[in-house]
Amino acid sequence: MANLKDIKRKISSVSNTQKTTRAMKLVSTAKLKRTEELAKQSKVYANKLTEMLSEIAQNIQSSNIEGLSSKFCNEQEDIKVVDIIFITADKGLCGGFNSQTIKRVKQLIETYKAKGTKIRLRAVGRKGIDYFKFNGVELTSEEIGVSSAPTYDKAKDFISSLVEDYVNGSTDKLILVHNGYVNMITQEIREDNLLPIDTSSMVDSTKSLSDLEIEPEDDDSLLETLITKYVEYSMYYALIDSLAAEHSSRMQAMDAATNNAKEMVADLNVEYNKARQQAITTELIEIISGVESMK
Amino acid sequence: MELMKLEIITPTGVIYDADIKQVTLPGKDGEFGVLPQHASLVSLLESGLIEIEAEKSKLSVVIDSGYVKVSENKVVCLVDGAVALDGADNDISHALDEAQKLMKSVENSNAAIATAKKLDNMKSSI
Repeated sequence: MANLKDIKRKISSVSNTQKTTRAMKLVSTAKLKRTEELAKQSKVYANKLTEMLSEIAQNIQSSNIEGLSSKFCNEQEDIKVVDIIFITADKGLCGGFNSQTIKRVKQLIETYKAKGTKIRLRAVGRKGIDYFKFNGVELTSEEIGVSSAPTYDKAKDFISSLVEDYVNGSTDKLILVHNGYVNMITQEIREDNLLPIDTSSMVDSTKSLSDLEIEPEDDDSLLETLITKYVEYSMYYALIDSLAAEHSSRMQAMDAATNNAKEMVADLNVEYNKARQQAITTELIEIISGVESMK
Repeated sequence: MELMKLEIITPTGVIYDADIKQVTLPGKDGEFGVLPQHASLVSLLESGLIEIEAEKSKLSVVIDSGYVKVSENKVVCLVDGAVALDGADNDISHALDEAQKLMKSVENSNAAIATAKKLDNMKSSI
C-alpha cells in the first residue's frame, strides 16, 4: 500500500498539470477563433483566384499554346526532380497534428523514390525539421517561425525562389503538404500540386471559353503574374489553414489531457481514502490487541 | 435598365458586392468601361480608380494592382489593396487619406502618380 504522503503529492502534481493543460486549451481556443476569421476572409479571394486561373488555364490547354504558359499548366512526362514542401507546427503538444503530416510526407517520398525521382524536401516548421534531421534525412531548406505567424510577405519570400527554380527547369513539380482545418474537431491532410497547376481538379466550366478576350494581349505576362500570385496565395492560405488546424488540434489534445487528469485525480482520491481507512483499521487492531493482552 | 453584378475582392475580404449599371476600370492597356452583356474578358489592372455607377448612386474605389474577369453579366475584380471612397464628408476625407497612403505604397508608376493627383484634386474639392 502506497504511503499516504506519496499519494497526496501525486494528487497535487496531477492537478497542477491539469491547470496547465486547461490554460493551454483556453489559449488555443482564442487563437483558433482569430485564425479561423483570417482563413475565412482569405478563402473568398483564394477561391476566386483559383476559379479565374482555371478558366484561363483551360483556355490555354485547349488552344495548345506553346511556351511558358503551357509549362505552367501541363505536366511534364518525365519528372526528374520533385520539390515537396510540408508545413508542420513550430510547437508540439498538439496531438497527432505533426506526425500525420510527417507520415504523409514519408509516403510521398516512398512513392517518388520507387519511380527514381530526385526529391528535394522543403520544411516549414520546427517539428518537421527536427523529425527529419533526427532520422538523417536531408532537407533542402528549412523555415522556422513562418508557420506560427504567417504573413503574406513571408509566404511570398519563401515560395518565390521555388517558382524561379520551376521556371528555369531545376525542378519539375511542386507539391505542398499540410494538415488543413475542417472544423473545430476535425483536421484533414491536404496535398496540393502547386506547379504544374492541376487543372483537372478545378471547376469544369467549358462554357463560352473560346471567346475569352485577354488583355494585355500577349497572354504570357498576364498568365505569369496570375500564376505567381496563385502560387504565393496558395502558400499563404496553406499556412493559415495549417495554423488553424494546429490550434484546433492542440485544443482537442489539451481537452483530452484535462479530462484524463481529472479522471486520474478521482482515482488517486479513491486510493488515498482506501489507504487512510486501512491505516485507521491497522491502528485500531493494534490498540484492541494491546488491550486484550493486558487482560 | 439592365444590371450586372460587381464584386471587388481583396485578400482581407469582400469590399463591394452589388448590382450595378456600369463600371470603369483602370486596365493595364488603358482605362475601359464595362456595361452589361460585355464579352468575356480577363485583364490586368493598374493602380487607379474604379468608378462604379450603381442604380442610384456613384462610388469610386481606389485600388493598387489586380485582375478583372468579366463573364456573363458578372464582373469580378481581384485586387491586392482597395479603399472605397464613400460615406459622409468626414469619412470621405479619412478614406482619401487611406487611399493616398495606398498609392504611396505602390511603386512609382505613372498610373499611381496620376491617381494620386486625382485624389489631391478630390481632397481640395471637399
